[in-house]
Amino acid sequence: MTRKHVLDGVKVLDFSHFVAGPHCTRLMAEAGAEVIKVEAQIGDAARHLPIIKEGRSGYFIQHNRGKKNLCLDLRTTEGQEICHELIKTVDVVIENFTPGVMKKFNMDWDAVSKINPDVIMCSISCLGQEGPLAKLPGFDYIGQAYSGILGMTGEADGYPALSGMAFGDISTGAHAYGAIVTALYHKAMGGGGQFLDIALLDCLFSYHEMNVQVYDASGGAQVPQRSGHQHAFVAPLGLFKCQEDYLIIVAIGAQWNNLIKLLGREDWADDPRFANPLVRNENRDEISAEIERWLSTVSDVTEAVRILVQENHVPAAPILSVPDVMAHPHMQQRGIVQTVKDRIFGEVKIPGAPLRYSQYPERLELQAPFLGEHNEEILREQLGYSPEKISALQASGVLSEKNV
Amino acid sequence: MAPQSMFDGIKVIDFSHFVAGPHCTKMLAEHGADVIKIEPLNGDPARLLPMHKDGRSAFYVQHNLGKKSMSLDLTKPAAQKICHDLIKDADVVVENFSPGVMKRFNMDWASLKAINPNLVMCSISCFGQDGPLASLPGYDYIGQSYAGILDMNGEPDRAPVFADLTFGDVSSGTHAYAAIVAALFHRFRGGEGQHLDLCLQEILFSYHEMNVQLYDASAGAYTPKRAGATHGVAAPAGIFRCGERYLFVLALGAQWDKLAKTMGREDMLSDPRFADLAARRENKEAVNQAVQTWLDAIVDPDEALAILQDARIPSAPILSVPEVMEHPHTRARNMVRTVVDPVWGPLKIPRTPLRFSTFPDIPEQTAGFLGEHNHEILSDVLGYSAENIAVLEAEGVINSKQV
Repeated sequence: MTRKHVLDGVKVLDFSHFVAGPHCTRLMAEAGAEVIKVEAQIGDAARHLPIIKEGRSGYFIQHNRGKKNLCLDLRTTEGQEICHELIKTVDVVIENFTPGVMKKFNMDWDAVSKINPDVIMCSISCLGQEGPLAKLPGFDYIGQAYSGILGMTGEADGYPALSGMAFGDISTGAHAYGAIVTALYHKAMGGGGQFLDIALLDCLFSYHEMNVQVYDASGGAQVPQRSGHQHAFVAPLGLFKCQEDYLIIVAIGAQWNNLIKLLGREDWADDPRFANPLVRNENRDEISAEIERWLSTVSDVTEAVRILVQENHVPAAPILSVPDVMAHPHMQQRGIVQTVKDRIFGEVKIPGAPLRYSQYPERLELQAPFLGEHNEEILREQLGYSPEKISALQASGVLSEKNV
Repeated sequence: MAPQSMFDGIKVIDFSHFVAGPHCTKMLAEHGADVIKIEPLNGDPARLLPMHKDGRSAFYVQHNLGKKSMSLDLTKPAAQKICHDLIKDADVVVENFSPGVMKRFNMDWASLKAINPNLVMCSISCFGQDGPLASLPGYDYIGQSYAGILDMNGEPDRAPVFADLTFGDVSSGTHAYAAIVAALFHRFRGGEGQHLDLCLQEILFSYHEMNVQLYDASAGAYTPKRAGATHGVAAPAGIFRCGERYLFVLALGAQWDKLAKTMGREDMLSDPRFADLAARRENKEAVNQAVQTWLDAIVDPDEALAILQDARIPSAPILSVPEVMEHPHTRARNMVRTVVDPVWGPLKIPRTPLRFSTFPDIPEQTAGFLGEHNHEILSDVLGYSAENIAVLEAEGVINSKQV
C-alpha cells in the first residue's frame, strides 16, 4: 500500500495551544497524520503573537500547518459531545492545558479511555500531572527554572541569562511525538491504548547529561554552577574573543594534543596539571590565556576557525546570529530554512522540521488553518451531522469561525 | 497477546558514542529493545569523562544503561563480517560518526540496505550527511553556534554565554528515537526499511520557535539578539533579583492585570504606555523596573514567590542542580533515578522523561563493561566456536576490559 508518509492514516484530535503541544502535532501532520485542532472561540493564544499581518500570525503559521480546525465552546455540553464523538474515531488525543482543565471538560483520561479504550492520550504540561507544583501556570522558562537549566546559564557572578528561544517547548513537543509513536507501535502490536504524561520539567532535567551524576558521584564535592563563558567541569571548552567576534573551542578529547601543538605548548603534554579535562579545568585560566594570546595574532574569527578546524582538527565554530545562520550556504543546501506560503500572510520562513526519512525526502505541502475553518467539513463528513444541526450549533454559539 | 514491553524483540546494533546516539539507544533499551553496543577496542570516549571510580565512568553509565557491549576493531574485515552478520537479523542500526566513517567500515546505508532491506538505519551527526559543513568535527556547542543558539544567550553588550548542559545532544537523541520508532511503525504497516539523517544543527535550529519567522516576516526590522536576563520581545518576562535569590516572572495577557494589581500598580493599567503587549514591549525597561522595585520592597524571595503563585502569575525560583534534586516535586515525580552500578553502587541520574501508563516503571538496568558481551554475542547469537573466538582475540579483532 502506498502511503504519503510514515503516519499516513493516523487520526489525531488536538486540544493543544501555544508551542509544546502544537509542535508535537506539527511533527505528526508533517509525517502525514490527519490532525484536527480544536480551539476555543478566542482561539489559540499563539494567534496573537508576532509577526501579525492582516490579523494573521506568522508565529501561529509556523506551529500549525497541516491541521484542520474545529472551533467550538468546550464549556457547553454540545461542544463536549462533538469531541466525545470524535474521540471514538481517532487514534491519538493530545492536550497541554494546566492539569485538571481536561477534567472540567469531561475529557480527562478516565473519561476518554471509557469512550475509546484503544486511544492514546498524551498530556503535555510544564510540571507534570501530579506533584506539589503540578497546578502552577507553566511556561518554558518556568520549567527551565525548576529543572536547574536557568541556574546553569550565565556568568558566575551575574544574573542567570534567558535563552532567546523556547527550546523547552519545542523539544518537549518532540519528546511527546516520540512517546506517541512508541505507543502507536505498541498499539499496533496488540498493546491497546494508554496515557502519556509528558512534562517540560522532566525533559529539561534530562538535558543534564553530566551535572546530576557529577554532583552525586562526587559526594557533593563538585557542585554544578553556571560558569558563563567556560564549561563548569571540563576544559578547554568555552567561548573566546577574536578581534570583535566570538568563537567556541571544544578540545576535551584527543584534540587537546592538536591544540597545544598549535599554541606551541607541547610541554603541557606531560604536565600533570593538564593530564585530563577535569584537572585542566582547575588550571583553565592558564590555558585560556594561551588561547587568547594566539587569537590576538589571527586576523579574524573566520581565519581562526579555519586554522583550528581545517589545519589542526580542533573543533571550533564562529558564533553566528540567527540571520547569519539563515543565510549560511550549509543551511541553504540542506533546506533547513523552510519557506512556506500562507494564504493570507504570503511567504514566510520558518525552521523546517528536523526529522528526515529516506522514503519521504520531500516535505508535504501544508497550510495553517483559519479559526474554525473545518467546522462544517468535520461535522458533516466525519460525524454525519445534518446542515440543520450544524446551523443550530452555529446559531447557539457552540461553533464559530473567523478568518485569522 | 499484549507485548511484554514496548519494543519486545526489537534488535538494535548501536555504533554510537558520547551522548546523542547513546541517549537514543538508551531510550530504546529502556523501552524493551535488545541493544548491542559496538565499541572500538579502546572504548567509547565517553568512558574517559568524569566522574571515575576504579576506572569506571559514571558519565558512561548514565548514557548506556541496558546495552550489551561488544568491542571490535572495525577496521578489520573479520570485525566487519561480525557486524554484517548481526545486522542481517537486526531491526535498527544507530551511528553518530562523522559522515563517511561508516562507509570506510563498509557499513554505509547502501551496503547495509543490501544486507537487510527492512533495516531502519539512523545516522546522527552535527551537520547532516551532506552540505558544506558536513565533514567538520561536531559537538553540541558547535551545533549550537551554527544554529544561532549561543548568540541568543547572554547580556547584549557582552560575550555570549552557554548553558552548562548538552541539551542539543540529549534532545537530538530523543528526536532520533522518535524518527526510528515512526519508521518502525511504518515498517510494521507494510513499509520498507529506510535511512534517517538527523543532525544537531537542524534540530537546534528548530528551537527558534519565534526568531526565524520574526526576522523574515519583519523583513529584517526585528533582528533576534541576546537580551540577557530579560526576554527580547515580551515584558514583563525575565529574571529578577529578590533578596539573595533570582526569580523568573512572566505576565502576558490577563496575567499582567493581575500582576499590576498584586504590585499595587493599578495606575499602570490605565497608562497608555502599558496598554497592550505591543506597548509593554516598547516600554519593557519601565515594565521590568516596576517588577524589580516591587520585589526590592518585599525582600524575602519565598514571600514574593508565594504572593505571585497564589495569584497564578507564572513565576519560579532559579534553582541550582542540587536544589532541583532535593525539591519535593522532583521527589514526588521520581525525576531523579538511582541506578545501581556494579562498580559505583547507587548512582543518581535524570530519569528518561517519557512516561507511559502501560509501562510506568523503567526496568533495572546496568551499563556493560567494555566488551563484556563479546563471547555471549559471538557464540549465542552468531554461533561462533570457542576456537574461533580465541582466534579473534589473539588477532586483536576483539578485546574486553573491566571499565
